[in-house]
Order: sequence, then C-alpha cells, then structure tokens
Amino acid sequence: MEKERGKVISFQPSKEEQAFFQVARSLAVEKIRPVARECEKHRTVSVDVSERVDELGLSTLELPESWGGLELPLLSQSIIWQALSYGDLGVIQGLPGAQEASSLFRLSPEHRVWHRYREMAKGGWPTVAWIDEAEQKEPLKEAIRVRRRGSGYIVDGVSSPVRLASKADWAVIAARDEEEETVLLAFDERVWEIEEGDIRLGLLAAGIARLRFAEVYAGPEQLVARGPEADALLNRMRARNQVIEAAKEVGLMEAALDYTIEYTAGRKAFGQEIAKFQGVSFTIAEMAFECRGAKLLVWQAAAAVDRGDEQAGGYAWSALSRAHRSLRYVTDQAVQMLGGHGYVQEYPAEKWMRDAQAQVMLYGRETDWLIRRGEQLLRERKERVAR
Amino acid sequence: MISFALSPQQKQIKELVHWFAKHEVRPIALEADRLGRVPDEWLQKVNKMGIQLNASSFGGGRASADSEKKKEKKEREGNRVAVIAAEELAWGCPGIALSLPGPGLGGPPIQSSGTPEQKQRFLSIFTKEEPRWGAYALTEPEAGSDASGIRTTARKVDGGYMLNGQKIFITNGARASWVVVFATVDPTLGRAGHRAFVVEKGTPGFTATRTVHKMGLRANETAELLFEDCFVPDDNLLGGEALYSAGANRPSGFQVAMKTFDSTRPIVAAMAVGIARAAYEYTLDIVRSSYPKQGRLYYEAAERLAEAEQEIEAARLLTWEAAWKADIGEPNAMEAAVCKAVAGKMALHVCAMCLELLGPVGLDGHLVEKLYRDVKVFDIFEGTQQIQRLVTARRLYAPYGVHV
Repeated sequence: MEKERGKVISFQPSKEEQAFFQVARSLAVEKIRPVARECEKHRTVSVDVSERVDELGLSTLELPESWGGLELPLLSQSIIWQALSYGDLGVIQGLPGAQEASSLFRLSPEHRVWHRYREMAKGGWPTVAWIDEAEQKEPLKEAIRVRRRGSGYIVDGVSSPVRLASKADWAVIAARDEEEETVLLAFDERVWEIEEGDIRLGLLAAGIARLRFAEVYAGPEQLVARGPEADALLNRMRARNQVIEAAKEVGLMEAALDYTIEYTAGRKAFGQEIAKFQGVSFTIAEMAFECRGAKLLVWQAAAAVDRGDEQAGGYAWSALSRAHRSLRYVTDQAVQMLGGHGYVQEYPAEKWMRDAQAQVMLYGRETDWLIRRGEQLLRERKERVAR
Repeated sequence: MISFALSPQQKQIKELVHWFAKHEVRPIALEADRLGRVPDEWLQKVNKMGIQLNASSFGGGRASADSEKKKEKKEREGNRVAVIAAEELAWGCPGIALSLPGPGLGGPPIQSSGTPEQKQRFLSIFTKEEPRWGAYALTEPEAGSDASGIRTTARKVDGGYMLNGQKIFITNGARASWVVVFATVDPTLGRAGHRAFVVEKGTPGFTATRTVHKMGLRANETAELLFEDCFVPDDNLLGGEALYSAGANRPSGFQVAMKTFDSTRPIVAAMAVGIARAAYEYTLDIVRSSYPKQGRLYYEAAERLAEAEQEIEAARLLTWEAAWKADIGEPNAMEAAVCKAVAGKMALHVCAMCLELLGPVGLDGHLVEKLYRDVKVFDIFEGTQQIQRLVTARRLYAPYGVHV
C-alpha cells in the first residue's frame, strides 16, 4: 500500500483503510466502551475484548508479514488505532501482546533473539514491557545501570513506570552501559520483580508498574543491538511508536468531542439547550479544531515515516507534542462542558481526562519534543520552501 | 488514498508562484507598505507577465481562453492549486498579493452564479494590455458578520434596479472595473430578498468616497463605496432573474454570498499560512545566524520555532483538506470555516512569537513587524474567527437538530 500512495494531495482513506476503520470503530463503540469502567476497576482488560481484538487481527497491525502479521503502513495503522481508542484509551493501552515492541520486531524480523518470542507465541503473542532508558535520564529516579560482564551485561535498577509491566512475559530494555554506549537487551522470562506502586491517575487497566532488575545477567544471546546499530534501530522504532501513540490520543479526543456535543445538545439550562450559549458552542468548535489539526499532523507524520522521509523523526516529535497538548485541552474541556457531571464517575469524561493525563506523562514531555524539533530545524540548512 | 504529495501541476504552480513572490514581490514589500500603494509601473509590468489574482482559478488563464477540456481538468484540482498559489503569493507580501490585477474575490460569485453571458462579459476583461480589477462588496457600516442585515436597497425599475446604500472595507473597490454588490429588494424578506449585482465603474450614482488607512495591508486599497440612485440594468443582476425566481430551491443572493465563502475562506486561510511561514522563515534565518548556540535563549528559540512550524503545518493541512473537499465536489462549508479560524488565529500568534524572538531590534526595519500588522485582518475578513466558530458549531450540532 505504501508504494500505491498517490502523488496528489488527498485526504481520502483507501477502501481497505475505510474497512479497517469501520471494524475498529464498531468494536470500540460496541465492545470496548461498555466495559471500560469494569476494566479500570479490575485493573485489567477483559479476556473477551482482547480475544476479539486478536480474532480481528488488530493485535498484529505492526507485526511483520513473515511472522503472520499484517505489517500495515503506519498511516493505515494510525487510522485504526484512532478508531479503536475512540472506545476507551485505558482499555487499548492494556491490551496484551507485543504492543510497542512490535516496531522492533518489524524492523528486525529475522533477529535471532526473536526466535524464542515466536516459539512462545504459539498460544498468543506474549506480552512485552518496553523500557526505554537510553534516550534521556529521568531526573526523579536513578537510571538502570547496565555494565559489561564478559560477553554479556549485568542489569541493575528500577525502571520508570511503564505500560504492561504488571503482566509482561517479556521485557525489552534500551539503556546506556558504563561507556555510554546504547544497548538493547531482551528478557524472555520474568527475571524482574514487579513494583506495582501507587498508580491512581489513569490508564489503570494498562498494567502500569515499574520493573526491578537486581543484578540480572543478560547473555550475548539476549543482546539485540548495541552502539550505532542500536541507536539507528531505536530512532526508527521511537518514531513509529510516537506516531501510533499520537494516533491513539486523537481517538480519545474525538470520543471526548463527540460525547460532549451530544451532551450539550441535550442538556438544558436557562430554558434552552446549553449548546445555544456561545460559551459552550465556541468551546465545542475549538475542541473540533484541535481534533482535526492533531489528526492531520499525525497522518502527515505517519506518511513521512512510511516514505522514509529524513525528517520523519521530527514530524513524529511535532505530531506527538501537538497531540499531547490537544488531548489535554479537549478532555479537560469535555469535563468542563459537562460541569458537575463531568467530574463524577457516572459519566466517562472524568476518566478520559485522567487517562489523557496519564498517557501524556508516559509518552514524553511535550515541550521537550518541541525543543528537539526546534534544534533540528536550527541545524537544517537547506531551502525549505519548495517541499 | 491519503497523500500529502503535490501533483506535478501543483508543484509546478507552487514553484512558479514562489519564484515570482521571491523575486518580484518580496523586494518591494516594505516600500509598498511605506508608500501605501503598489507602484503603478510594477502593476503594469506584472500584468504584462500575465499574473493576476483570481480567487476562483489561480491556475492562470482567463475564462475566455480556456478550452472545455482544460477547464474540466482545472476544476478538479482548482481549489488545491488556488490555496497552494495563495500561500506563496502571501509569503511574498499579502498587501501586494491582494493588489494584483484580476477579478480577485469578485471572481467566485461570477463563476458560481453568473450566466454564461455575464461570465464572458465580466471575466474576459482581464487581459495583458491593461491591469484591471474586480471587487466584492458585501460589508456595510451596520452589517459585517451578520451579512443578512445588509441595508443597501435594490428597487425594481423599468429595465433594471435602482441601488441605494453604502459599502465599506472593499478591497480594490475604488480601482475595480466592476464590483459584485449585494443588496436587498425588500428588507422585510430577510435573506430571501438579497440579490447580487455587478456594478461597473463609471455607472452614474456609483462613487468610491474614500480609501481607508489601516493597521496593515497598507499597500492594498480598501475603499468605501456609495450608491445614490445608481441604475443597474437587468443584465447585471448576477445569474439573471431566473436564478432567484425559479422556486424555493434556488439560491438567494445571501446564498450566493455564503457559497462564495466556501472557496474564498480556504484561500484566505492559505494566505495566512503564507504570512506565518514568511515570518517563521525570516526569524529562523536570524536565529541561526545571530542567536547563541546554547543556553536559555537558544532553547527558548528552538521551542518557539518548532511550535511555529507545527502550527503552520496544521493550518496548512486543514486548508488543503477544505480545498480538496471542494475539488471532489463535496460540501466543505465546515472545513472552510475550520481552516480559516485556525489559520487566522495561528498566523498572528506565529508572527507575535517571531517578533518576540527578534526582540526590540525587530521594531526597526524588519519584515516581521509588517507581517504582524498585515496578518491581523486575516482573523477578521471573510468572516471573523467568531463567525467561523459559529459556522463550525452549527454543523457539529446539526445532527442533533439543535440550531446554535
């Protein structure tokens, strides 16, 4: 499908993308949203939902075809994740399987380290926790220490809270060793301890926890990549995942917008529907602006990744940064437009706002993404006009 | 298939218009702002080059010169080509862009509602021999955003209509060879009473009373027009009597005016994008050459510039989407309102961020302060940002039967 993309400006999804969208949106509305509160309460995604996602092939969107995955272009995936997250982002983020590691599998499908993963996958894709500590040091915690030991590495320390940690069968860690070289290590059994912590904000079904590695040895057979090879792999993987996460954020903001439109069209105050007050209708319009702008930036970044644009990473930073900002705004305004009802758990808006905030905290600081993009722009020298 | 790639035709137009904007427009931008007009000899020169402003077909060419086949092709990409060209022209200088000869904003209503005879008569005058302009007159002292409240009257008389009233804020209104004027045949009929007329320069009773001085867009003429017992023949009623009298499904003059917005708002949005991009690129170059390479100022600049780039990209994509919808023949009123609202506000914000990065030195002879003055009106004309919010909200609430 990537090769078929037209050479004319168009916003028309392909027939295949439309069909995927319909399937995903129906699942989101009929199966996912109705169980969202229940999943949150039990801090896990119901088996029914995850089985249905598997049946429809939606858990293999990014996985390589040689693995039996769909290996879809990122733009098509963005449309599908957007549709799925319209149901409930908390549920989507708790779906088991390869998830963020899928991009790594896609980019290095024949790597020997993954043979074991594929063997284990016979009864369903094992759940992978993805820990990326190679890119930047978190100020509020000690970095995971990785030291060379013979032909392998010793891993010691506690991760930041990451998605799927509490239910992971596998863990993949990106970190820096004592010589500041990037290493990418895979663990195929639970050599870690789970620190559940005290997570209350949102995405409570997503299995967010920390993983503690206590002087765990990783042999050479667990080394995925290191040095420049690892950096190159990680940069591509991060861009893909940033676009996917941003697409999910668009799905949640669209859910919040549509729900708020419907609520404010029906709710009356001072003798008329509150939609008729411009304080309300103008806010709705602004929410729509944010949704549409963020969506198109995500699509643009996805298209850039699909065509291998050298600026793709920068577009992904920008799209995710904007998606974060728009998501916070739209979900906050949804609560605001519902007033007191927005704040209580009988309505979904309060959960969506909490989920949104947890999501943006997991996936990078939006200002940081902007600064990085800005540094990239300042370094760039070529004429930018006739792109 | 979703794609953000320009077609060969779109790319060619973009490069051509950018070349013109860079080499012919930008060099005189500050001087034209100081003079408060675009030099006549420059207008003569570019008109001879065949460069004109027509909001309904930026793709060039004049209605009379087009073969049917060419026309069909142009219609399919016309709106996308138009927004691409508009961005480049405004990047050069929005004040000069709006002053280019051609039918301007008067083009779309004639294209969409004029009879074949009217199209031929009014759109074929734009030749290389002499620069000529068209104009669009809707706004009145007491009717701006609420276009349904226009008070200019059109009284039916033998052989035509007698117009009386005043129009304000009319781009190129004094120099225009003709003006599309909206008037009412009966104020009590509301929107149904509206009619659109093409009033030609020199028509007795039609005068341009003054040109106004503005915050920005100073190179561009903004006129006030007065109609005092101005007789306009039936032939100049846009679309002819048949357009208004053939039943309830026929458009009123109000609908002609509103329909025009669906194609002009994306163009105005594209111009705002072009202005923002001009400010951003100018500032990016200065930050690269003059800012420290590390420390607080550097990171502040990096953040601001990335935000500017992001805002510009988002507004451009929304604008392209509105133009694309029009090209494929789908209703695009909401998309047109969305892109105009987003681009108008974004562009001022980007210009202000750029001025912040330039600091006090930016006050003195730098292009961005002019762009800042120019761009404010893009959040006002062709519908204020408040009107765009209203249009957007109305569409969003329509499925629930709530009229906001």
